Amino acid sequence: MEKNISIKFFILVSLLIIAGFLSLLFGGSETINLNDLSLNNFIFWQIRFPKTITAIIAGCTLATAGLILQVIFRNPLAGPYVLGISSGASLMVAISILAGSSLHVFSEFFIGKAFIVTSAITGSFLVTLLILAISKKVNSNVILLLIGLMISQICGAIQTALEYFSDATSLKNFVTWGMGSLSNTTNFDLTIYFPIALLTLAAILFFIKPLNALLLGENYSQNIGINFKTSRFYLILISSVLTGLTTAFCGPIAFIGIAVPILSRMIFTSSKQHIHILSCLLIGSITLLLSDALSNSIIHNVSLPINMITTFIGAPLVIYLMFKNKSW
Amino acid sequence: MEIKECIAFKNTSLGYKKNNTVISVLTDINLNFYAGDFVGIVGLNGVGKSTLLKSLCGLLPLLNGQLFIDEQPIINLSLNELAKKIAIVLTEKIGGFNLTAYDVVAAGQMPYNNSFNHLTAKNLTIIEEAITICGLTNHKYKLLNELSDGLFQKTIIAKSLAQQTPIMLLDEPSAFLDYASKHSLFLLLKQLTKEQNKCILVSSHDLDLLLKYCSKILLISNNNTELISVSEAKTNKLFIEIGGGFI
Repeated sequence: MEKNISIKFFILVSLLIIAGFLSLLFGGSETINLNDLSLNNFIFWQIRFPKTITAIIAGCTLATAGLILQVIFRNPLAGPYVLGISSGASLMVAISILAGSSLHVFSEFFIGKAFIVTSAITGSFLVTLLILAISKKVNSNVILLLIGLMISQICGAIQTALEYFSDATSLKNFVTWGMGSLSNTTNFDLTIYFPIALLTLAAILFFIKPLNALLLGENYSQNIGINFKTSRFYLILISSVLTGLTTAFCGPIAFIGIAVPILSRMIFTSSKQHIHILSCLLIGSITLLLSDALSNSIIHNVSLPINMITTFIGAPLVIYLMFKNKSW
Repeated sequence: MEIKECIAFKNTSLGYKKNNTVISVLTDINLNFYAGDFVGIVGLNGVGKSTLLKSLCGLLPLLNGQLFIDEQPIINLSLNELAKKIAIVLTEKIGGFNLTAYDVVAAGQMPYNNSFNHLTAKNLTIIEEAITICGLTNHKYKLLNELSDGLFQKTIIAKSLAQQTPIMLLDEPSAFLDYASKHSLFLLLKQLTKEQNKCILVSSHDLDLLLKYCSKILLISNNNTELISVSEAKTNKLFIEIGGGFI
């Protein structure tokens, strides 16, 4: 069984390398010539390269955030997008962009980014806490999803109202951001995005044991010596930072957080969460890299929204799961 | 030979909080349980059997008084220390996430392994032993969702065994079992008190089983607890009221 696991990981790593090349070469309207990768190649170094790295980081963060949420809620259908957590982040960003334009914080570029990142993380944290409070009252996985959907509708409605009262520049800023895109991240942005993502992902290492214990529920995990409430709080914090961070840089990206952990549990028939964290990092990156390459190559010279592709992958998977009614 | 005292309630009040109001279930109880005791807890629904068991393993805080586990106050024990002293089997169902019977039993060794959950050879031996004792050898790689109620119950009991605790608590373990499984479960528990000198507390509505296998009976009625030996049960007024009169 252990041998199988290493073979599967080997295949995933190979796929990641292939997907990375596909995204680098075909992730735009122009195909890159591999013979010309000098530092002067503007398209490659200033557009393609940051976008591919962004796809990898976004895939890693959203997939692990989804995995953590599924374990915390013991609900295989949980995820940052379907529970309205991404929408919470969007709403906070909308508020801060619109409020920020009147406060002139965006005159300073760096402060502007930090401001957006902080508000996105705050938004996702608040919605996660809200969902957690609600989840104690409802037993059904499906009802929890419906509530998540409602929360994301409410956030959307408030957002629309805010947009109605905003001026043209901030409105344009926000609408472009809200569509979800991997290509708004510059090399400079990566110097903020990458280290925070890496540190937050590394923090999960301290919670391998609680993650495994939480699968047994509150009472049993307490009984085997795990402080359920404390672990849950820190894990929620981690998943909020991961979701908020990526939402701040890429906008809300759909279905990666729910679909990737499900795929991971289908591929690795283990309940050990360190295996799933590792495979979520790989599968998350692969899925977003391939989605990126696909979104740019389905129609010649047209770059389709990344959310369209991820939804086409994720939504059928969720429907399939509901029909199968098997809890992965 | 001195018999080890495992559990001691000293003027303890138990209960729980619901919507910020404290609901007191049992007040001022004084009880002692020893190693080798196999205690059946009986009482009508809602008198506090589950509250007693959950308070014992720290899932509910004490409202008043003191509780000693292995002669130490429970409030002085860390969660991990407590996990090495008391194992509980509850009525709740768990499953999904590719969890197999083996994974659950292995979780019983969590208080003993490192923070990366790495299982050493010693951990693995203990886990295998628990699986063998509970007769799960042929089912250990099955998913929890695929197990029958009886096998699921045995899996959780094997987890408790793997926890290597001197005290085991079981909350209505016989509720969903068929007749044969009930008897084999109680036989197993009796064997554990005899061979491993464990102190086992089990709540159940199967009074005939308790009379047949347990060594003591703890009667709980509204705000009153009474610990008697099995031979006294048939003549005890409270036991007869609870349903013992029908046996």
